Amino acid sequence: MSERQNQKLSKEAEHAVLQQYTRRHFLKDGAMGFGALALGSLLGGCFGKSSASAHTLFDASNPLASRPPQFPGKAKSVIYIHMAGAPSQLELFSYKPELAKLDGLDCPQSLLEGKKFAFIRGVPKMLGPQAVFRQHGKSGLWLSDNLPHLATVADEIAMLNAVTTDQFNHAPAQLLMHTGSARLGRPSIGAWVTYGMGTENKNLPGFVVLTSGGNNPDAGKSVWGSGFLPSVYQGVQCRSEGDPVLFIKDPSGMDRDLRKASIDAINKVNQEQYAEYKDPEILSRISQYEMAYKMQISVPDVMNINDEPQYIHEMYGTQPGKTSFANNVLLARKLVEKGVRFVQLFDWGWDTHGDSAGNAVDIGLVNKCRKVDRPITALLLDLKQRGLLDETLVIWGQEFGRTPMQENREGKKMPFKGRDHHSAAFNMWMAGGGIKGGVTYGETDEIGYNIVSGKTEAYDIQATILNQLGFDHEKLTFESQGRNFRLTDLSGKVINEIIA
Amino acid sequence: MKLLFSKKIIPVIALLVFATAVIIAIKPDSRIDFSSQVKPIFNKKCITCHGGVKQKGGFSLLFRDEALANTKSGKPAIIPGKPAESELIKRIVSTDPDIRMPYKHPPLTDQEIKILKQWIKEGAQWGEHWAYVPVKRELVPDSRKGWIRNDVDQFVYQKFKEEKLSPSGEAERAILLRRVSLDLTGLPPTAAQAQTFLTDNSPKAYENLVDGLLASPGYGERWTSLWLDLARYADTKGYEKDGSRTIWKYRDWLIHAFNTDKPYNNFLMEQLAGDLMPDPDDAKYIATSFHRNTMTNDEGGTDNEEFRTAAVLDRVNTTWGALLGTTFNCVQCHSHPYDPFKHEEYYKFMAFFNNSRDEDSDLEYPLLRQYNKADSLKLNSVVEWLGKNVSLAEGKKYYKFLKTWQPSINTLKCDQFVNGALLDCSAGLRNQGTCRLKNVVLDQKDQLIFRYHTNINGGKWTIYLDSLNGRLLKTIPLVNRENKGSWQIGTADLPSAQGKHSLYFKFYNPSLKSPEETGVMFDWLWFDQKFPGKGKPGFEMASNSFNELMHAPVETIPVMVENNSDQFRATHVFVRGNRSVKGNEVTPDVPHTLNPMPAGAPKNRLGMAMWLTDPANPLVARTLVNRLWEQLFGYGLAETLEDLGSQGIPPTHRELLDHLSWKFMHDFNWSVKKVLKEMVLSATYRQDSKVTEELLKKDPNNKFYARGPRVRLSAEQIRDQGLAVSNVLSSKMYGKSVMPFQPEGIWRSPYSGDLWKISEGEDQFRRAVYTYWKRTAPYPSMITFDGGAREVCITRRIRTNTPLQALTTLNDSTYLVMARYFASRMNELGGGEVNKKIAKGYELMMYKPISEGRLNALKELYDTSFNKYKNDPKGSAQMLGIHDKPDPESASLVMVASAMLNMDEWLNKN
Repeated sequence: MSERQNQKLSKEAEHAVLQQYTRRHFLKDGAMGFGALALGSLLGGCFGKSSASAHTLFDASNPLASRPPQFPGKAKSVIYIHMAGAPSQLELFSYKPELAKLDGLDCPQSLLEGKKFAFIRGVPKMLGPQAVFRQHGKSGLWLSDNLPHLATVADEIAMLNAVTTDQFNHAPAQLLMHTGSARLGRPSIGAWVTYGMGTENKNLPGFVVLTSGGNNPDAGKSVWGSGFLPSVYQGVQCRSEGDPVLFIKDPSGMDRDLRKASIDAINKVNQEQYAEYKDPEILSRISQYEMAYKMQISVPDVMNINDEPQYIHEMYGTQPGKTSFANNVLLARKLVEKGVRFVQLFDWGWDTHGDSAGNAVDIGLVNKCRKVDRPITALLLDLKQRGLLDETLVIWGQEFGRTPMQENREGKKMPFKGRDHHSAAFNMWMAGGGIKGGVTYGETDEIGYNIVSGKTEAYDIQATILNQLGFDHEKLTFESQGRNFRLTDLSGKVINEIIA
Repeated sequence: MKLLFSKKIIPVIALLVFATAVIIAIKPDSRIDFSSQVKPIFNKKCITCHGGVKQKGGFSLLFRDEALANTKSGKPAIIPGKPAESELIKRIVSTDPDIRMPYKHPPLTDQEIKILKQWIKEGAQWGEHWAYVPVKRELVPDSRKGWIRNDVDQFVYQKFKEEKLSPSGEAERAILLRRVSLDLTGLPPTAAQAQTFLTDNSPKAYENLVDGLLASPGYGERWTSLWLDLARYADTKGYEKDGSRTIWKYRDWLIHAFNTDKPYNNFLMEQLAGDLMPDPDDAKYIATSFHRNTMTNDEGGTDNEEFRTAAVLDRVNTTWGALLGTTFNCVQCHSHPYDPFKHEEYYKFMAFFNNSRDEDSDLEYPLLRQYNKADSLKLNSVVEWLGKNVSLAEGKKYYKFLKTWQPSINTLKCDQFVNGALLDCSAGLRNQGTCRLKNVVLDQKDQLIFRYHTNINGGKWTIYLDSLNGRLLKTIPLVNRENKGSWQIGTADLPSAQGKHSLYFKFYNPSLKSPEETGVMFDWLWFDQKFPGKGKPGFEMASNSFNELMHAPVETIPVMVENNSDQFRATHVFVRGNRSVKGNEVTPDVPHTLNPMPAGAPKNRLGMAMWLTDPANPLVARTLVNRLWEQLFGYGLAETLEDLGSQGIPPTHRELLDHLSWKFMHDFNWSVKKVLKEMVLSATYRQDSKVTEELLKKDPNNKFYARGPRVRLSAEQIRDQGLAVSNVLSSKMYGKSVMPFQPEGIWRSPYSGDLWKISEGEDQFRRAVYTYWKRTAPYPSMITFDGGAREVCITRRIRTNTPLQALTTLNDSTYLVMARYFASRMNELGGGEVNKKIAKGYELMMYKPISEGRLNALKELYDTSFNKYKNDPKGSAQMLGIHDKPDPESASLVMVASAMLNMDEWLNKN
C-alpha cells in the first residue's frame, strides 16, 4: 500500500473514530469523563502506527472501525447463502439431456478409474436428470422446474457452470470454500472482509451468521471463524428463536439505563486497570463491552421481522416467530440494509444420497427447493426495489456438487434416487454487487462429470468477492507465524467474465 | 544437456505454499546447519512438490537417501561435495523459466542459493530436527544476576541479554497469590491460604503457599480440565445422534491421578494400556477409557467397521497430537510433507490400536462391569477357588469375563438376515428368521453363554454348521425369565465340534402374533468350556457364584480390552488414506526415525506405551512440559503445542524446554507437581505483568518473558472463581456429570429424547469440570470462552475476546445468581456503609484494597441503581430474584456485584 493511501486510510479512520465517539450516547455523560479519556488513548494507539503496512489494519482499541477498501468497490455488502450438504446441480442448474439417455446404464470404467467417492463403490449406474429444464429470461438461462421463482429473475444471475474443488467430504470442502483451506485454522471470508472494512454500523456485528435446516454446517463454527485474525472478526451467530443472540437480554429488573450505568462502571474500572497495566487487551475488552451494549439494542431490533409489511411476508414466504430459511433471508436483507458487511447463511439438509425419501433427488430435493426458491427470488427483487442490489453481492454457494451416477452405497442399490458427492464439477451463481446479470461462465462435458472450460476454483470465487468489495485478494494480507497470509493463499483469479 | 525434469512431468499447478523469503546469515567460520538453515528453505520453497506428498520428477527432499537417489532422469539431483555438478543447484540458478526451480514461483534469494551451494559442498549432510533428538541434559547458563531464583531464570536471562531486555520486578503479593492459586488449582485462594501467605514475611512464604496449593484437591480438578480437552472427553457419543455415554469415572480417575501426582509415565502407560498390565484392577481398566472417548456412530445404516476404523485412526491421531506434539494425521494419506515419517509408518503404528474389542457397537462394548462390595468379594472368591483348584490362568480368564464379558462375539457381526435385521447392534429375528455368524472357532468349546432379549415364551433357537441345511449343532429354548422382558443371560451345552465355522441361526416361535414382530434379540455370544473344576470341593459354590455374578447389578464404563487370538484383525496400509483400498499388511511398529521399541517390549499396545514413556522418546516429555508452560505463561515455549515438527513454530527457549524436560524425567521422576513447582517458583513467573511502551514494542506477546504472564482465564476458571467468591461453590468431588442452568433450546437432538434436566441443590454449583458435555451442543458459556466441542482432541485453545463473552458474564443467569450471592456476602462482611461493602467485595476478589477510582466508579453505579430501585420495588425484587420483597439497597449491591464480576482484572490473571 502506498504512503499516500496509508495517509488517506489514517485520515478516514481518524474521522470514523471521532464520529463514533461523538455518537456514543451512553458515554456522553459528562460527569463520567471516560469518553475523553478513552478517546485520548485510542488516538494514541491508532495513529502511532500510521506508517505500518496493510496488515496492521487491526487496531486492538478500535478493531471494527469502518475502513475504506483498497479501491472503490461496487459492492458494499455480501449475502452469501451456502447450501450445506451440496444440492444436485443436475436437478437445478446443469441441463444435461445426454445424461438422460444414459439413465440406468452402468457407469463406464473410464469415469471411475483413479476416482474416489464418498460412498459409491464398484460400478454404479448412471442416473438421468430427475427434473425438467427450460430456458428463461432474455439470456435463455437453463433452470429446472424445481426453481420456478428464480426463473423469473434469471437475467439478474451470473451462472458459474464449472466450479470445482479437490475435497469430497462436507466439512473440509466447506472449509475450503469459506477459508481457502480444507483444514481448520484459517479465517473465513466474512472475517477477512470485516478485518478489511470494519463495520459500517457499530451497533451490529460486521459479520453475522444465520443457520437453518435444523443443523449447523458440517464443518461447525470454523466456517465462520476468525482463524489467526483477531477473534473480533469472527462471525456472530444469530438465532431466530429465543434470544436472538444468547444472553443478549438483561436480567429482569434491570432497565437500559441501569445496564448503561453498569457498563460505564465496568469500563471505568477497566480503564483504570489499563492505566496501571498498559496491556492493549484491556482496551479491547472495553470495546467488547461497548459493543455488547450496543448489540443488546440493535440486534433484537434488526432480528425482529414482525413489523415488516404483509406484502414483504408474502413475497418471501416468511412467518414471524419461526425458524426458517425464508426468515433468515429476510433478516439478511434487513442486516445489509443496516450496514452489516457480510451476512452468511447456511441452510442444512441438501445431502441427497438417496438413503431416504428426504434425501432423494426427486423427493427431498424438490421439497428443499420449495423452501428456498421463493425467498431467494424475493431477496433479489426486494434488494432491487430498494436500490440495494447494485451494492449487495448475493451468492448461491455449496461445497461441491453431485455425481451423474446414482449412489450405490456399499455397492448396493439405494432405496431412493440419490447422487454421491462430486468434487470435479458443479454450479454456483452470483447476482448484484456489480456482477453482470444473464451470463454464464464455464462449461462441463455432456454429462456434467468434468469441466471443459472456464474452470472456477474456490479461490477464484473468493478473489471475485473481494474484488467486488474493493480488495485485491493478493494484497489483503495478515501476518501470522512469520508469513503474510491471504484468503486465496497463492491462487485465485478474479472472474472478469461475469463482472459488469 | 538433458533436462532433469521434462516439462511434461511438471503439471501446470505447482503448488508452492510459502513465498516469504527467510534470510539466514551464513557465519563464515561455521558449517551450514541443516535444521536451522537448509530445512527451512526446503520446507518453504521445495517440499510441497518434492517431499512426502508429491515427488515431482522422482525427486524428494524428505530423507537424505531419497534426496541423493537417482531421479526420473536417471541421475541424482544432489552430488555431495559437488554443488556445480548438482542438478539442484543448476535448476535454482537457471534463468530459463521452464527449467528454473521453484517452477513458476519466485526464485530463491541469492542468500538461499549460497546456503544450498555451501551445504552441498560440505557434503549435503542431513541434520535432525531438534524435537526428534533425544532430550539431553542441558548446560545451565551461569549468570550471577541477583534476580535469578532457579535454573528457569538462568535460561530466560540468557535470552534477555540477546534481546536486550531486562526483567520486571516481582508482582505485588496479592497479585502473585491470586495468579499462582488460579494457575495451580483453577480457583482463587481460600481466605485461610490468603491470610497465611499475606501475613507471612518469611522467605519460604511463597513456597509454602505453592506447596499448599499443589496439595489441595482443587489441583487435580484444574489439571483434569486441561486433560479432558486432550482426551476429547464428552458425556455423549458424538456424530448425528450424539446419545449419552457413561464415562465420567474416567474423569474421576484423572482427578485422582493428578492429585496423587501419579508419575506421568505411569499416568500415560495406564491410559494407553492399563488393560494389558499384569492383573489390571478397576482403576487400570478405567484409565484406558482415555481412548474410549472416541466417537461412536449410532446412526441407522452406518457401517460399524467404518466407524470402528475412524475411532482407531482417531486414537492414533490423538496419541500423536496430544501426547507427542506431532501432526501425525498428515501421514494417514501420504508420507509426512515436512517431517520424517513415512506413509506406511502410520499404519504400523495404527496396528497397535487395531486389535481392541470395540466395534462401534451402540452398547459400547467392551464395558468394565463394576460390582458392589459383596459381589466383588464373591468374584474374588471365585477367582481364588479357580486358582487353587484349576489354574491361575482359568482364574484370570473368568475374572476377565465377569469384569468385561470378553472375549465374547458381538452379534453386530451377523449378516445374511432373512426375516430379521440388525437392530442397532443386536441381531433381531422374527418367527422363522435366520442369519449367519462367520468365523467361529469351535475347537473344545462345549458351552455357549449368550445375552438375549425376548418378550414372549416358547421361542426356540437352532444353530446349524456351515449352512441352514448343515449339521444341527444345537436347539436352545429361549425363556422370558420371570416374564420380565429384559436382557438376560442364557447358557447351553454344546456337542463337540472342531474347526472354524460359519454358524447359521434360525428362530422359531409360532406364538408370535405378527410375522413382523421381532421374537428375540441377541447381544453377544461366548463359546467356551464349561465352568471347570467339577468334582473338586467347593465346585458347586464357585459355579453358582459365577452364575450369580453374570446376573449381578453392575455399573459400567467403556474400556479397552484386547482381542484374543481368534479375533485377531490384520492391519493394512490404506492407499492414500482410503479405507477401501487396502495396501500391504503391516505389523505393529514405531517410526524408524524415533527411538526404537525398548528391549523386551511386546509388539502390542503395552509395548507401544513402554516406548512412548521411555526416557529415550524425544517427544513425550517435551510435549507435556511445553503444555504446562503454556498453561502458566499463556504461550508455549514452542507456541504450536500441537506441532513440535519442522513446520511448527520453533521454541523461543529450546534449551530451557530441554532442560525442564530432562529434569522432569530424570530428576523429578515424571512428577508433574514438581515440574510445575519449578516453573512457578522461578523469578520469571513471579514478575509483575505491567507492560511498558518499550516492552510492548520489543516483545508484544511476551515471548521472552521480561514481564509476568497476563492472560484471560479459561472458561472453567472464570466460572469456578465466580462461584468461589460468591461462596456457593460446591466442594463435592467426583461423580456423575451435572447439568447447571442452561437456556432453553440449546440441545437439538433430533433422534434422541435426551433432555437437559437442571441439577438440584449444590449440583447447580459444582466446578465446571463436572458439567455435562454434549458434543453437538456444548455448554454455551464454555464455548463462548473458547472451549471446543471435543469431537476430536483439542491440542490448544486459542484465546479470544468478544462481545459475546461480555454478554455471558453480564447476563447469563448463572452469573446473575453469582452476583446475588456475592452481594449478600459483601453485605454481610462489609459493615454498614456502602463504600465499605464494595471495598470488602473487591478485597474478597483481589486480596488488596480497592483504589479510589474503582471505588468511585462502583459507588456511582450503586447510587444510580439505588435511585432507580427506590422508586421501582418490583424491579428491585426481580433483581434479587425474590418476587415479593423489594429491597433497593440489596438490589443495588447486586448491580455492583455483577459489574465487579466483569472487571478485566477479574477475568484475567494479572
